Amino acid sequence: MTDRTITLCYRKIMDAGAAKPWDKLVWNDSYAEFRLQAQNFNPENRYRTFGEMLHYVPGADRLHFLVSGAVTGYLQQLGERMPDISDNLGRQFLRFQRFQFELINSDLQDQSRHQVAVNFVSEPLRWHDTVGQFLLVSPVAAAASGGEVLTHLVPLQPFLSIYSILTPETDAAANAG
Amino acid sequence: MERKHFLKSLLLGAASTPVLLSACSKETVSPTSGTSSGSGTTTGGTSSGSGSCTVAPTETEGPFPTKTPASYLRSDITDGKIGYGLTINITVSNSNASCAALAGALVDIWHCDAEGNYSEYGGTGMQATNYQSVHFLRGRQVTDANGKVTFKSIFPGWYSGRATHIHVHVYSATGTSLKVTQIAFPEGTGTAVAAVNGYAKGLSGYTANAQDNVFSDGVALELATVTGSTSAGFELTWALSVPA
Repeated sequence: MTDRTITLCYRKIMDAGAAKPWDKLVWNDSYAEFRLQAQNFNPENRYRTFGEMLHYVPGADRLHFLVSGAVTGYLQQLGERMPDISDNLGRQFLRFQRFQFELINSDLQDQSRHQVAVNFVSEPLRWHDTVGQFLLVSPVAAAASGGEVLTHLVPLQPFLSIYSILTPETDAAANAG
Repeated sequence: MERKHFLKSLLLGAASTPVLLSACSKETVSPTSGTSSGSGTTTGGTSSGSGSCTVAPTETEGPFPTKTPASYLRSDITDGKIGYGLTINITVSNSNASCAALAGALVDIWHCDAEGNYSEYGGTGMQATNYQSVHFLRGRQVTDANGKVTFKSIFPGWYSGRATHIHVHVYSATGTSLKVTQIAFPEGTGTAVAAVNGYAKGLSGYTANAQDNVFSDGVALELATVTGSTSAGFELTWALSVPA
């Protein structure tokens, strides 16, 4: 069986319970930015929550993107290393360049209701096999020619999912085309 | 269509008098005492407590995050976009204080690239984007004691239905929206708009200020002074008054 190429997505949620410094900074700064940007979608301060704006104001879904500017500086500080997710040896090994910032809930008058998520998309991985609750993967970039391939066992867990998949068939088709 | 709609909604926001978010200034809940959902923040590293245990990371500590201003807070908003250089000077005064210079105000600007595209329309889909390539040609500065901010950018291109323009949103030091408006460019023979000539597109189908749905009601207060040349770059100067 030929290996499939996948990318993993980790949805990191930050809310009032955020404890780590990075999480707290993202949570606080995204809230401050939300309060600035929300005024574009809140004539006469009619609405209080992000949910209301989404429901009543056309274009309010652009707030996800507009608020993300408060967060990109912190993403850069991660140095392309995906946080929190480690392999079965307890090492963080996933790299990322792509992300999507997401406002989940927010409230202009109550920061404790502010909830955001950063969706990290990993660099491509070869998915060799599945062992119990673990995916056996190796970074595509590190693929050796014919010899030994160093691998990682990633446990399946909440908020970690397969974001995209490239099967060998489409690979071959793309090459043929 | 959507863009027009959005522009209209911005104008609507500008027309209505901004009301202080009085309740916002009081922070009622500190981060630590808030309600924690407990479900989202403990994935991965620490034990998730959901039956299947994952190994806790045993690793060198780090990274060490430092407080970072929003990536908007910068004076060079070029982001590698190609075009004729444009220095943007904006001076803000307070119409509630005999037009005295307004210091400490946040001035947020954004405009399209040479082809007429905005960064904000690239990031609305479901696709994840590279963290190094979003938010081009958008920036924010705090006015100095003279009420002035300066940005380095490129001369904006144009897109169907609109004259050349730069969006401006002015906030008070505490973040209250004071004004949403747009900067218009002089047009016709000898102007910068004519010299840039719409970049690769040319000016065929260009919307003049008089036909523009935003500027057609009179452009006097929105019109900037633009000097310079394609070789030396352009310099834009514009002043506005806001009720602060």
